Amino acid sequence: MKKKVLSMLLVGVLAVTSLAACGSSSSDKSSGEKSAQSDDENTLTVYAWDASFNIPALEAAEAAYQEKNPDFHLEIIEQTQSSDVEDAITLAGSSGDYSQLPDIVLFQDHYIQQYVRNYPDAFQSIADADINWDDFGAEKTSFSTINGEHYGVPVDNGTVIFAYRTDLLEECGYTIDDVTGITWDQFDEIGKEVYAKTGKYLLSMDGDGNDLPYMMLQAEGVSQWKDGAPYITDNETMVEIINTIVKLQQDNVLYLANDWSDYTDQTIVGDMVAGVMNGNWIIPTIEKVEENSGKWEITSMPTLSGEEGYASNGGSSLYITGNCTKTDLAKDFLAYTFGGGEGSIATYDNALKDGGVITTCISAGESDVYNEGVAYFNDQAIYAKIVEMGSHVPVVEQSDFHYDCRTQIASAIQSITAGEADTATALETAESQLQQVIDGAAQ
Amino acid sequence: MKKNFNVQAKQQRAGWLFLLPASILIFVMSFYPMIEAFITSFKTGSSANMVWSEPILKNYIRMFQDDLFKTSVVNTFLYLIIQVPIMLILAMLLAQLLNNKDLKFKGLFRTMVFLPCATSLVSYALIFKSLFATQGLMNTVLLKLHIISENVNWLGTASTAKAIIIIALLWRWTGYNMVFYLAGLQNIEYSVYEAAKIDGANGWKTFWGITVPLLRPTIIMTFIMSINGTLQLFDESVNLTKGGPANSTITMSHYIFNNSFGDGVANFGYASAMAFVVFIMVAILAFINLKVGDTRD
Repeated sequence: MKKKVLSMLLVGVLAVTSLAACGSSSSDKSSGEKSAQSDDENTLTVYAWDASFNIPALEAAEAAYQEKNPDFHLEIIEQTQSSDVEDAITLAGSSGDYSQLPDIVLFQDHYIQQYVRNYPDAFQSIADADINWDDFGAEKTSFSTINGEHYGVPVDNGTVIFAYRTDLLEECGYTIDDVTGITWDQFDEIGKEVYAKTGKYLLSMDGDGNDLPYMMLQAEGVSQWKDGAPYITDNETMVEIINTIVKLQQDNVLYLANDWSDYTDQTIVGDMVAGVMNGNWIIPTIEKVEENSGKWEITSMPTLSGEEGYASNGGSSLYITGNCTKTDLAKDFLAYTFGGGEGSIATYDNALKDGGVITTCISAGESDVYNEGVAYFNDQAIYAKIVEMGSHVPVVEQSDFHYDCRTQIASAIQSITAGEADTATALETAESQLQQVIDGAAQ
Repeated sequence: MKKNFNVQAKQQRAGWLFLLPASILIFVMSFYPMIEAFITSFKTGSSANMVWSEPILKNYIRMFQDDLFKTSVVNTFLYLIIQVPIMLILAMLLAQLLNNKDLKFKGLFRTMVFLPCATSLVSYALIFKSLFATQGLMNTVLLKLHIISENVNWLGTASTAKAIIIIALLWRWTGYNMVFYLAGLQNIEYSVYEAAKIDGANGWKTFWGITVPLLRPTIIMTFIMSINGTLQLFDESVNLTKGGPANSTITMSHYIFNNSFGDGVANFGYASAMAFVVFIMVAILAFINLKVGDTRD
């Protein structure tokens, strides 16, 4: 009898929970639909990631646009990471159902060309928006221009900075000027000295997603691509740069971390390095070590020839999805705020204050806020410096397969430093592997 | 006679009725996607507009020219060949020890050995990752014991990274297989051992002469499950090493995943083709295993 009661109870619980599960999933769905698209004609929805960086920038833009249209509301749907947005597009594109997409998405620059080509219906051109495209860094807009047509409005700026610990340089008898406009060989010499005297590496990088080759190559004005094909083994500059990276690593000047979190947490926050080189979005990571405040300063990159090097790495732009029906409102909003319109100064000033987002919009970069000194960086006006450096970044050929190339080159460097292959063989393997990925994706 | 037939028919009908819901679910959720995946493996292009590949076997041909795929196959089989035998022998020995009638705190020991299986794949991989990090516990302990003279980059060196994946797998799955052996051992009558003892067989002899033959069905099952599980190894490769350094520890499943969702490639055609090759490998190995283990002539 007892058993019977128990089993009846269990069946009952099961039935109730399964019903509840059905109920909640259906209600989830309806609320999901609501949040990705709004019925209100003055509301736009947007997918974005990073609550300390991109989202304050979007909030600043919303506030700025409300000056023009007080009823306007921007619904920011926060995503955990940038790949969530990419996955949302892949999902919508694969199923052919775009109705779940928001009006606007924030999208990584290096991925957008591939996604627009693969899923052309997922995005809308904004060529006719009221935006003066010459007001932006040419390098930045080269990502969001596909087949000569503008698709995106730039948000942040990926200009590469080289930040040095001036106190440690001073210990070795150098100033920030001594490391500005130097060759990588000179850099190597200084780095060896710094390591010997202070035990710190002058540079670190994630060895798995290694951005060094790309940045160093761009500073030379050379691409990993030539007419859409990989340009690796025949690329003398590339070979020279790979050899430089290997030498820096062997001389204990460069530390290659196992992965991204080791790179940020162990080498930068863990205070292992006297120098950091990456897109300027790395600044918040540097600033996490509070006791080093006032000891950092930024400058340009070394190059092979000894001229000052400029490059750009990372960053994202805003795109209108194919699902947006309020296209005019979306275009007007983007043009007025991020696009250099009347609200752009207000947008970018607050984006910088609240999120540290630096613009590539030349006119907005002339604002006073940019010329203020930053205490952490020894009162250097780093933002103005970054905007200025950004204007020098050379445009190099980009490819849909940027990250595939990065993966293969990173593998090549790892096998060279492990002594498993010489530079020529490793790069040959990388190139053929990359070519396979490209051929495999071709129709 | 006729009535009897009717009852049988009724029972059969009832049987089919009970089978129906589960069968429909398996067809819709499992077999239909398999057929779709098989069709996809002959296609190429972005997932928004996939077209038949030209030639039709393009994805399968590419596999044989793809060095990285070959690396992933070699890695997976390396894990399989080294890890599975060690794990199963260890599991059997542990089961034998814990089956001892006179052992105290048996429940406690059994729980301890089984406990790793209760941890999630991702979290245990992350714990191993931090243990073997360059600044991790293992390096500190080994340094203090003067076994190594400077920190070893365990996960950043191809050979040690592979070893750590194998160690992690052993830690995670030995207890799981031990439970099957324990269950098998409980089914062996104690009188059989007693008889062997009287005949003068020692522990080693009883183990090989009685335990192993009587456990045969269990051993075959654990073997098939382990082979299947190792060929589909994914979490450890992704979470412990991300396939690195230089893709030297990548497994087949991880490479398939990279081709469908990694780096924005979304090459579902090639990924499906590779998945089918893995499927065939598992089927062949399981078939050999069944044939070898089959004692009926």
